[in-house]
Amino acid sequence: MILHINLTFLLAQRTILIIFALLTLSSCTNEQKKSNEVNLYSQRHYTVDEMQYEAFEQETGIKVNVIKANADELIERLKNEGSNSPADLFISVDAGKLQKASKLDLLQKISNDQINSNISDDLKDINGFWVPITYRARILVYSKDRVKAEQLSTYSSLTDDKWKNKILVRSSSNAYNQALLSSIVANKGVESATNWASSLVENFARDPKGNDRDQVKAIAAGQGDIAIVNSYYIGLLLSSEKEEELKAGKSVGVFFPNQAEGESGTHINISGIGLAKNSPNKENALKLIEFLTGESAQSRYVNTSFEYPVNPNVKPSDIVSNWGGFKRDKLDLNKLGIFRKKAIEIFDTSSWK
Amino acid sequence: MEIKNKLLKSQNKRWLIVSFFISTVLLLPLIFLFSNVFNIEKSEFSYLWNTLLLDYSLNTLYLVFLTGSFSLVFGIIPAWFISNYNFRLRKFFDIALYLPLAIPTYIMAFTYSDILSFTGPIQSFLRKKSPNLAELMNKDFLQIEILGVILGLALYPYIYTACRLSFSLIGSSYINMSKNLGLSGTRLFFKVILPLSKPAIFSGLFLVIMEVLNEYGAVKYFGINTYTTGIFRAWFSMGNENTAIQLACLLLLIVFVFLIIQKVFSRRSKFYYSSNSKIEKLNEPSDFKRLYIYLFCSIPFVVGFLIPFSYVLNNCILYFNKIDFTTLYILSKNSIVISVFSSAIIICISLLFLYVEKISKLKISSFIGQATSLGYVIPGAVIGLAVILLFTKIPILQSFSLVGSFSVLIYAYVFRFLAVGKSPIKSSLEKHPESFDDTAKTLGLGPLKTLQKIHFPINKLALAIAFIVTFVDLLKELPITLILRPFNFDTLATQTYQFAIEEMLMESAVYSLAIISIGAVMLIVLKSIINKQINAS
Repeated sequence: MILHINLTFLLAQRTILIIFALLTLSSCTNEQKKSNEVNLYSQRHYTVDEMQYEAFEQETGIKVNVIKANADELIERLKNEGSNSPADLFISVDAGKLQKASKLDLLQKISNDQINSNISDDLKDINGFWVPITYRARILVYSKDRVKAEQLSTYSSLTDDKWKNKILVRSSSNAYNQALLSSIVANKGVESATNWASSLVENFARDPKGNDRDQVKAIAAGQGDIAIVNSYYIGLLLSSEKEEELKAGKSVGVFFPNQAEGESGTHINISGIGLAKNSPNKENALKLIEFLTGESAQSRYVNTSFEYPVNPNVKPSDIVSNWGGFKRDKLDLNKLGIFRKKAIEIFDTSSWK
Repeated sequence: MEIKNKLLKSQNKRWLIVSFFISTVLLLPLIFLFSNVFNIEKSEFSYLWNTLLLDYSLNTLYLVFLTGSFSLVFGIIPAWFISNYNFRLRKFFDIALYLPLAIPTYIMAFTYSDILSFTGPIQSFLRKKSPNLAELMNKDFLQIEILGVILGLALYPYIYTACRLSFSLIGSSYINMSKNLGLSGTRLFFKVILPLSKPAIFSGLFLVIMEVLNEYGAVKYFGINTYTTGIFRAWFSMGNENTAIQLACLLLLIVFVFLIIQKVFSRRSKFYYSSNSKIEKLNEPSDFKRLYIYLFCSIPFVVGFLIPFSYVLNNCILYFNKIDFTTLYILSKNSIVISVFSSAIIICISLLFLYVEKISKLKISSFIGQATSLGYVIPGAVIGLAVILLFTKIPILQSFSLVGSFSVLIYAYVFRFLAVGKSPIKSSLEKHPESFDDTAKTLGLGPLKTLQKIHFPINKLALAIAFIVTFVDLLKELPITLILRPFNFDTLATQTYQFAIEEMLMESAVYSLAIISIGAVMLIVLKSIINKQINAS
């Protein structure tokens, strides 16, 4: 009988021992911080990113470690890890999230001449907390069969009655739409933005669903005539190997809204990088930012993921250049974060799903 | 004798303490969530409630109702046919009907929205044959209903498994008795079989409902706002952690009530299967009935597995030249190793909890048991964040800097999937008469020996079932892995998802195919184990 009692204890003891062993082991592996590496929390997960990190490793011998997840979750993780955080850099595809991170005091200012000279002035963060690595425009695409480019002008003109049941756009929970509406709030005020959102909903061809590429396919399918999408998706469709996607890409024309004199310019958003406040490998982190904004990495972005370069010495890919140049909205992109909450409230009241 | 009893009691106490310790550790994220629930300063609960939450909650209820109903239909009817009738391909269907479990709901959603889209085969066909119908379909009516069917197809195997086992174990004595009393066919099914199988059906349905409640990917893809969407909206978009925690806790309370109802209900209808009396002879169906049988057995299999599987396979073949086999190998290895390891831990803990619940008969241990199952209903991403909060806010844990290590990832898995591992073990333990324990006690066997000599052997197959079901679920797991994983650690699921949300379904196909294939093989193994169990009893 006593033997049995001992067995029970032994079992319990062993379990606890194993748990502790595991704990120590895993914390040990965490402690082993090799200096020749750089740790990224990244929202970007395109194929081109892997290529960039590999090239960087080859050039400098610095190993790039990545955790990829949604921006908000990464911010939560960064916030809670505090000074224990292993993260050196935070990468997001939305200036709003970078603003959020800097507001939460998770980032430190980046001052580096090389990086500074790599980037067009009007794309820089005025507060110096983040550095853009690419940018994208939220453009209009239209059915070449049913719409003429001359009929289009601004984001606001999409609320016109003639586009009833013609407009396609994805859900309001999508960060790109939230950023667009934030920019309208910033440029034109809450009332104007509210009117725009609720009138646009009236013109929807269907309840928002799917992603940006789906909206283009829906135009090809005749479900609607005009869609609001990010520029690089059209590049991806036009370079697709799937015949159906290629066809969809070719069936639409690209239009940059808000170009006329006195208009704000087409809404853009950056994909950017912030230096973590407690970055343990700061030097390596800065080297990586230098690398990513440098000419060779910039051309890799441009030609693989069809984004626009932030380095003025690099030209967009041929597909993208064919659409012609455009006037960018010069709004301080931090406003995309500052007005985010207001934008979401407007979406909710305008029943944009 | 008295001394013996005392000794046994003190031994039980030790077991109780060990299980109590582990469950407290497991419940920490929950305790943490609830301790923050009254942090109401600046809560925007009322804003959410006024604008969206009612709408979101009604959507959720409707979706639960739809998915529940469809999974009951897809699960119970084929299970009855296969347990009771003899027909060609019976054995094939018996395996095939499990397979949809291998396909993650998010892959189902991507696949079906492609198939049902304007350029998909169905609308193209309709446009040629009946333009009006095609036009109607193009309008995107019935989105939530379609999603309900899709989720029903993905989740019905939970109910099918439970029913198949229960129907087979009910045994011929009940059936013969009923037949002598003049009940047959449909009436036998509704009056005897179904009521006797209620606990099994409910345990399956419970899993289905929990899956729907924390469903995120598929729901999001279909643009349907559910309660979970509300939690994320509050947390991320509005940046209000407190509101999100309140919403999550409210969800938990609702589920807890549901759990208690289920508990009371299943206790009331508790019955012990009589052993050695399995259905001996399968009935020969009439030709008319045979048609029904084929129809009801093939629909869930074809729509729930064959079509999405072929779609993914086709994408793989089209994309074959570009497949990166090294990555595929590494990710498969990652997925398998972490899933095997975590499932093993989950099974051990499940067995411990259930066994302690059985021997101690204390209300508190059964309550704790229920509470530890709650992890299953919390959306994965909320668990991930609760775990991060826990490991970074509590000073002792903080110093270890554990977030981003495998141990925390596995800890979160255990918290999330304990209910999955417990379910089959629980129904197996409950099936065996209490007299086994009493006999063991009179023979002077301590709890460990009773477990080792009696419960382990007779529940061995249930343990294997629990292991495989948990393994398959872990293989598909996405949100927790995304947020808690260590640097440079990718799994098949994270890779599939990352390509799929970037609208690169072709690129994601090979990883989807790997998840589905590994899952399917495991489920076929599972099936053979279940058959063994049915034949052995």
